[in-house]
Amino acid sequence: MSLVKKNHASSGNADHRHLPRDRAGLLRQLQDASPDIRRWAALDLAAFPDTAEALCARLEQETGLPVREALLTTLIKIGGNAVVKGLMPLLRSEDATLRNEVIEALQQLPEAVSPYMETMLRDPDPDYRIFSINVLANLRHPQAPAWLQAVIERDADINVCASAVDVLAEVGGPETVPVLTGLPGRFDNDPFMQFCVQATIRRIQGHDA
Amino acid sequence: MNPSEPTPAISAEEFRKFRDFFYRKTGIHFEDTKRYFVDKRLIERIQATDSDNFRNYFVMLRFQASGEELQALINLMTVNETYFFREEYQFRCLVNSILPEIAQRKGRDEPIRIWSVPSSSGEEPYSLAIYLLEHWPRVDEYDIELVASDIDTSILEKARQGCYDKRAVSHLPEPLLRKYFSALPNVQYQISDDLRHSVEFTQVNITDLSQMRGYRDFDVVFCRNLLIYFDDTSRRVAAEALFNALRPGGFICLGHSESMSRITPLFKVRKFPEAIVYQKPR
Amino acid sequence: MKRVLVIDDATTVRLYYRQILEAQGFAVEEAGNGYEGLEKALAGQFDLYVVDVNMPKMDGYTLVRTIRQEPAICAGPVIMISTETQPQDANAAYLAGANLYLHKPVRPDTLMLYVRLLTGERGS
Repeated sequence: MSLVKKNHASSGNADHRHLPRDRAGLLRQLQDASPDIRRWAALDLAAFPDTAEALCARLEQETGLPVREALLTTLIKIGGNAVVKGLMPLLRSEDATLRNEVIEALQQLPEAVSPYMETMLRDPDPDYRIFSINVLANLRHPQAPAWLQAVIERDADINVCASAVDVLAEVGGPETVPVLTGLPGRFDNDPFMQFCVQATIRRIQGHDA
Repeated sequence: MNPSEPTPAISAEEFRKFRDFFYRKTGIHFEDTKRYFVDKRLIERIQATDSDNFRNYFVMLRFQASGEELQALINLMTVNETYFFREEYQFRCLVNSILPEIAQRKGRDEPIRIWSVPSSSGEEPYSLAIYLLEHWPRVDEYDIELVASDIDTSILEKARQGCYDKRAVSHLPEPLLRKYFSALPNVQYQISDDLRHSVEFTQVNITDLSQMRGYRDFDVVFCRNLLIYFDDTSRRVAAEALFNALRPGGFICLGHSESMSRITPLFKVRKFPEAIVYQKPR
Repeated sequence: MKRVLVIDDATTVRLYYRQILEAQGFAVEEAGNGYEGLEKALAGQFDLYVVDVNMPKMDGYTLVRTIRQEPAICAGPVIMISTETQPQDANAAYLAGANLYLHKPVRPDTLMLYVRLLTGERGS
C-alpha cells in the first residue's frame, strides 16, 4: 500500500470508444440517450468537417453542458463558412446559455465571421446587434474599430451604442473621440451614456482622470 | 528604438486598460501595487518591438493575428519558477479536504490516482509524494498512483534524476530534507530512490487528444501555471482533455493566480477552507 | 459597510455601477462573467449581487440558479439588469431566483432606490 508505481498512465477505459468511429456511426451516436456517448461522438466528429450542419442542429437541442462544450470545441476546430452559417441563427435562440456559447465560438472564427459582420450589425433586432458587437469584442480583426465607429454614428438604440462604446474603450483610437463626444447628445444626455463615453475617452487618450 | 530617445512612460489609465485586457485574456489580475512591476515589463516590450509608445504597442498586442506578442508578454509577466512545497496551501487542501472526500466513496482495493502536469523538473510531483506521506493519516490504507507528465523530454529526464540545488529545497523543513534527500557534492540534493521509484514520469502534449487517450481515471489533477500560456482554442481543447482524464467527481487544482472562469464552465467551483478548486460533476 | 458584487462583462458598465455605489458608501467588487461571479461570491461575503444576463462562460440566469443552490450564499438578494425587455426575460430572471429585474440603462437614482430596499441600508 501507500505510494505505488504503475507502468501506465491509464487504469482502464470508460470512454465508450468501442463503438464504431466512422462518420455514419458517429452521427447516429450523436443522438444516443447516453450523454457520454453523445459527447465522445461530438469530439470524434472533428475528423469529419462536412458534419458541421448536423453538429449545429444537435447543439440547438442538446441540454447536457459537457456535450454542448464538446460540440462547440469540434465546431471551432472545423471552422469555416458552414460552421458560421450554422451558428449565426442560434444567436436568436431564447436560451441565454446557448446564445452566449455561440458568441464565444464565433469569436474564435474571425476570418469566417468577418464577411457577415456588416449585415449582422444592421440587423433589425437590437439584441441581435448587441450580440454581434459581443462577437466583435474579442475578434482579432483590423476592421473592428471602424465597424464600431459606424455603429455609434448611426444606431438609434442606446444599449447597442453603449455596447459598442465599451469595446471601443479597448480598441478605439483618437479618431473615434469626436464621434464619442457627440453621442450622449443623441440620447438626451442619459447619465449612463455620459459616463460610458467619458470613461472610454479617458481610456483612448490614456490620460489620467 | 534609439537609445537617445526618452523612455516611454505608462499613465495610470493605460495601466488600467492593459490590466483589464490582460486579465480577460489570461485570468491573471494585477493589483495597483504591482504597477511598477507591470510598467517596467511593458516598457521593455514597447522598446523591444520598436513601438514608440503604449498606444502603438497596445494596438499591435490586441490585433496581432499570431498572438506572439501576447505570449512574449505572458512569459515576462509570470514568474515561472518551481521549487519544493510551492503554493503549499493547495497540498494542505489536498490532504485536509480533497482526499477525505475521495476516500469516502472509494473501496479499499481501488487506487487513488493523482496527476501532476506539467511536472517540469519534478519538484511538484515529489512534493506531492512527500506531503502525502507526511500529512495524510490514511496514506497507508490506499494504493496511491502518482503520474507526472511534461511535454519536454529533457526536463523529464532531469525530473527522473531528481537532483536539486539549494534554492529548490529552501522551503522544505530541515527534517524532511534529511529524511527524503541525500546530499551530493556542490550543495546538491538528490531525492531518495524510494520516491524516485514511486512517481511515473511520462511525456505528453495535453492539447493532443489522441496522445491524451492514455490518461484516464484520475482522482486529482494538479495543472498549475500551464493553461495561461495557451490561446483560446488550445485552452478549450486542453479543458476537454482534463475533463476526459478525470473520474466523475475528480478535482483539478490550478495555479495561485489562475481561474477556470476564463477557460471553461465544464467544472463545478468548490470552495474548501484552504482553496478554491474545480470538480468534474459526478 | 455593505458589500456589493457587480457581475457584468462590460468594463464600462461595471465602472458605472461601482461609481454610483461607492459614492453612496457601498464597497464594490467586480466579476467579468458569471463563472467568475460564482467564484467571488463563494470566496467573499456579499450583501447584494448585481447581475447582467448575457455573459461568456456562464450567463446570468445560470449564475443566479447556481447561487440559489449554494447553501453558503443562497440568501443574498439579486438584481438582474439586462438590455432585454420582453416579458419572458423578466420571467426567466424571477424563475432563476432574482429578486428584481431592471432594464438597461439604469439611472443612478433608480439603482440606489432598489439597492437600499434590498440591502436594508438607509444610506448617508
